[in-house]
Amino acid sequence: MAECSEDKDMLNMATEEIGQVVEEERRLQNLLLKSLLPKDDADERDSILEVRAGTGGEEASLFAMDIFRMYEKYAHQKGWKFEVVDIAQSDHKGYKEASATIAGSGVFGKLKFESGIHRVQRVPATEKLGRIHTSAVSVAILPQADVVDVQLKNDDLKIDTYRSGGSGGQHANTTNSAVRVTHIPTGIVVAIQDERSQHSNKAKALKVLCAKLYEMERSRLHSNRSKLRSEQIGSGDRSERIRTYNFPQGRVTDHRVGITYHSIDDVMQGESLDVFIDALLLQEEIDAIATFSSSQ
Amino acid sequence: MNSLKYHAQFQRDKMMDNGPDSSILCRELKWLMEDAVEDHSLFSKMGFENSDEKVKMRVGIEELYNLWKERIEKRRPFQYVVGCEHWRELVLSVQEGVLIPRPETELIVDFVCDVVSKNEDLKRGVWADLGTGSGALAIGIGRALGIGGRVVAADISPVSVAVAAYNVQRYCLQDKIEVREGSWFEPLKDMEGKLAGLVSNPPYIPSKEISGLQAEVGRHEPRVALDGGVDGMDALFHLCDGAALFLKPGGFFAFETNGEQQCRDLVDYMKNKRSESLCNFEIVADFAGIQRFVIGFHH
Repeated sequence: MAECSEDKDMLNMATEEIGQVVEEERRLQNLLLKSLLPKDDADERDSILEVRAGTGGEEASLFAMDIFRMYEKYAHQKGWKFEVVDIAQSDHKGYKEASATIAGSGVFGKLKFESGIHRVQRVPATEKLGRIHTSAVSVAILPQADVVDVQLKNDDLKIDTYRSGGSGGQHANTTNSAVRVTHIPTGIVVAIQDERSQHSNKAKALKVLCAKLYEMERSRLHSNRSKLRSEQIGSGDRSERIRTYNFPQGRVTDHRVGITYHSIDDVMQGESLDVFIDALLLQEEIDAIATFSSSQ
Repeated sequence: MNSLKYHAQFQRDKMMDNGPDSSILCRELKWLMEDAVEDHSLFSKMGFENSDEKVKMRVGIEELYNLWKERIEKRRPFQYVVGCEHWRELVLSVQEGVLIPRPETELIVDFVCDVVSKNEDLKRGVWADLGTGSGALAIGIGRALGIGGRVVAADISPVSVAVAAYNVQRYCLQDKIEVREGSWFEPLKDMEGKLAGLVSNPPYIPSKEISGLQAEVGRHEPRVALDGGVDGMDALFHLCDGAALFLKPGGFFAFETNGEQQCRDLVDYMKNKRSESLCNFEIVADFAGIQRFVIGFHH
C-alpha cells in the first residue's frame, strides 16, 4: 500500500471521514435520546416570581429586595416582560414579600431551578459593629396557568373588597379598589391592591391564584413520580438551601451543582445568573439521560 | 404651620364623612406622579438605577403642587384631578359635571358578558345604557358584543354626552356606540320592543342624604347623577316601566341600586306591576357584600 500515494491519500480521507461520521453519530444519538426524554410541558410557560424575606429580620428584607431586583434585571436582559404584582415593604424600605409576573419565551424553563432558599452573608447596612450576618430569603417560581388549566369554578371562589364600611356605590368616591380572592376548597387567599381598577386587581389576583393551584397539582404529580425515580437536582422543596451569596468574599455558590462564581456584582446585576442556570439545566439533562438509560 | 392646619382640617372632615385615609392618599400621590411622567417605563426604574437620565414631565412641579392642594384642601376627587378613571380594563376621561364611574358598576358588564356568551341573539342585538355619564357601561358592553351588536348611550347632561362621545371615540367604537342627548327613554322613541338589553346606574341616593355625602361626592359630582328623589327610586321605577315597554322578548336588564332595601322594593314593584312582561328577577350583591343590583329578563 505504501508504494501508492493515491491509496495513502484515500486512507487518510477515509479515516477522517470515519471520525466525522462517528462524531455525527454520537451527536444524533444524543439528540435522539434528548428527544425521547420526558419534556416538562410547563417550560414554555410564563411565570410568577415570589420572594419572601426569611430569617434575619430587616437585613433579610433588604436582601429580598436585592434578589427581586436581580430577577427584574435578568428578565430585562432576556427581553422578558417583568411586571410587579405586589410589594410589601419593610420598615427600612426592604421587601418583606414581593411578587411579579414574568412573561416571555421559555421563562419557566429557565427559571424553574431558582425556587428555594437563597442565603446571604454580609455586613448589613443596619449593622453598627461591622459583624457579618447570615440571613435568608425564599424564592418561588410558579408556572403561569389559566382558569382552564386548573379547572377553576366560579362557585369555588369568594371575592370581596375590604373597603371601610359605608353604603358604597354612588355614596363613595374612592381610589381604593383592592380585591381579595379566596379559593374555598384550598383556603388560598390572594389580595391585590396596586392596580387602578377593581377589575384589574381581580384579574391579577386570579392569575396568581391559578398559578398557585397549578403548582399544587404539579407538585402532587411530581411527588408521585419521584417515588419511582430519585430526583437528582434539588428536591424542588422550597425549604432547600440552594445558593449562598457571600459578599465579603465576593462569591456566589450554588450548592446543587457545586459551582462558585467569583463576581458577585455581576450576578446581582442579573448578568451572570446564566452561569448557574445553564449548569443546572445541563445537570438536569445529564440526570435525565442517566435515569432514562438505566431504566431501559 | 398652615399646612398642619390644613392637615388637621382634612383629618376632621375625613372622620365625618368616610373620606380617604393617609394610605389611600399616598397611593394617589404615587399615581399622580405616574400620570405626570411622560415615559411610564422610566417610573418603575426610579430609585434603583443610578442613571442621570432626565425625566420629562407633562406638567410643571408648581402645577402638580396646586393640583394636589386642591385634592387635599377642596377634597376634589382624585379622578377629576388627573382627568381620568381606571375602570375595568379601560381608562376613561372624566371631568366635573360627569359622574366618576364606580368600581361596583364594573360588575354590570360581567352580567352582560355572561348573558351574551350564552345567547347569540342578544350578542348581536341593540343595547341601551341610560344615564351613561362617562360612557363606561356603554363602552364595556360595546366591547363584549358581537358583529352587528350596537349600544345606544343616552344622557340628559350635555357635558356627559360630550365626554361619553370622546371616550367612545378613544376606543374606536363610534360605529358600534351611538351617544344621544335626552332624558331616559326620550331619545329611544324609535326602539320600542326592540332592545336586546337595557342597563343603567341611575341616580339612587335619597334627596335628604345628599347634604351628608362624602365631600368628594357631595361638593364635586353632579347632583343630577346622584339624587334619586324622596326615596331614591324615581329613576329606578321609571327604568322598570321602560324595560317592560322597550325590551324585546328574551331581552335582559340590569340596574344598580342603593342597596338591599331598594333591590327588594324594585323586585316587589316588578312582581306586582310588571310581571306580565318581566320575569326571572335576581338580586346580586357587589364585592363588598351589599345587595346592589337587580337583574332580570323580558318574557
